[in-house]
Amino acid sequence: METPNPAATPKEGQPSSSKAIIYVCGECRQDNEMRPRDPIRCRECGYRIMYKKRTKRVVVFDGR
Amino acid sequence: MASSEETPKKRLTVAQTDSTSQFWEDSKCMTFVLEGEDHTLGNALRYIIMKNPDVEFCGYGVPHPSENKINLRIQSRGPPAVEILKKGLLDLSQVCDHVLTTFEERVTEFKQDMTDKMET
Amino acid sequence: MTMSTTEEMRSYVTLNEYDVDHVHSTDFPGSYHGYDDSWDFNRFRRNFWIEVTKLDDMEMEFDMVGIDAALANAFRRILLAEVPTMAADKIFIHNNTSIIQSEVLAHRLGLVPIKVDPRMFEFRQEGDEEGTDMDTVEFELKVKCTKNPNVTADLPDPYEIYKNAKVTTKQLKWIPRGNQAALHHNNPIRPVDGDILIAKLRPGQAIDLRMHCVKGLGKDHAKFSPVATASYRLLPKITLKQPVVGEQAERLARCFTPGVIGLKEDEDGNKVAYVDNARKDASSREVFRHEDLKDAVDMKKVRDHFIFSVESTGALPPNVLMCEAVKILKEKCRTFLVELDNLTKK
Repeated sequence: METPNPAATPKEGQPSSSKAIIYVCGECRQDNEMRPRDPIRCRECGYRIMYKKRTKRVVVFDGR
Repeated sequence: MASSEETPKKRLTVAQTDSTSQFWEDSKCMTFVLEGEDHTLGNALRYIIMKNPDVEFCGYGVPHPSENKINLRIQSRGPPAVEILKKGLLDLSQVCDHVLTTFEERVTEFKQDMTDKMET
Repeated sequence: MTMSTTEEMRSYVTLNEYDVDHVHSTDFPGSYHGYDDSWDFNRFRRNFWIEVTKLDDMEMEFDMVGIDAALANAFRRILLAEVPTMAADKIFIHNNTSIIQSEVLAHRLGLVPIKVDPRMFEFRQEGDEEGTDMDTVEFELKVKCTKNPNVTADLPDPYEIYKNAKVTTKQLKWIPRGNQAALHHNNPIRPVDGDILIAKLRPGQAIDLRMHCVKGLGKDHAKFSPVATASYRLLPKITLKQPVVGEQAERLARCFTPGVIGLKEDEDGNKVAYVDNARKDASSREVFRHEDLKDAVDMKKVRDHFIFSVESTGALPPNVLMCEAVKILKEKCRTFLVELDNLTKK
């Protein structure tokens, strides 16, 4: 059972258009910093499938 | 923190009594409902109450396993059912006291015997 | 010593080939003519005794005699479900890049026994998410697996070439809150065992979490049960109805747990069976599978003689657990006496 905790990292809505998020390339596993509307392409190997990293927010679970 | 107006949940109620008079407390036959209890207290209480010679009938049951309560019915030959229940609870409490003191004594004795044996 | 059938019915549970007789207690007033079965505390006190046969930090065995199954069972049930313990209930995961899913990790952490006296803590209030220092014990688990720089790649053993590949309970770090450090100065709070494996990691994987341990009952979740188990059995009573000699005697001895049936020699040098230690018997009833032996043995159990076994998970010693169980039963009685008073007062 999980309870995502949206209150953990308060964020405003707007700066996301210029906020760089790090994605992981599917092939070479390199970190790629990308912004919205950037072409999706690995900087190193050119692979076009990216994975998002695990959230930094605290996730709470019941120990049951 | 409990406010002064908050009433703690009632754990003992009467479901049925065959007394027709206004004073049901004197009734000889009653079915009690004990909230938050199961066979642990139910069977133990039933046993103690059955040992009372004034008791014509005593039985308990769990009406539904999803609900945490027991029915306890007492049919008395003389005294009011509430008195029988009270005596049952007091007797059981007395047994607990005796079991506890006896157990603690025996444990102390055993530990003492062990240390005596180790020293020889 | 011959016993009338009534006495036998009242005192023993009989094990037959296909069934069990006289299981229920029948000693209630009026059941038997000539017997006074009404409750008499002094008579109970005279017939009741306890003897401890084994006792250490984790396990104990004791005999409780002269009490009815209803009460012995009540104690057993309370030991399992109503004596409180502290265990992890909310796991705050900051990071988990291990192969163990977070919910699986949380489930495992909940089951780790914590060595702390639950009587020093209160139950958490309903709705309180943060907890206080009087109702919460906090642990931190922060492990990162790295490659061991000293070792060459030849050794395949992961515990040589990686650092922190195994995450064990030893790595759970207690974070004292409020008063706790002072209060538990001599007995720092820790898991009962340091060698419980929680997860395995490889280089680059990390676990960073905090867990809150609260007081709870086995009734709610088995992790809160203070006993690995608590059980009892009845004292066996085995009697030989006829003499059993020679090969039959040897076979008879093998039908029971070793030590139950002994063999001695008579004047002619024949082996004769006798009951040496019925207590050891585990009631396999193997003897009923032998046509020539099944009528030679009477298998009974003493209805009011309980051989208790209490195995603690480590938070409290087993004798303390038993005392708490008895106190809890007494407290139930007290609660309803008060309720009864309130009911009949108005």
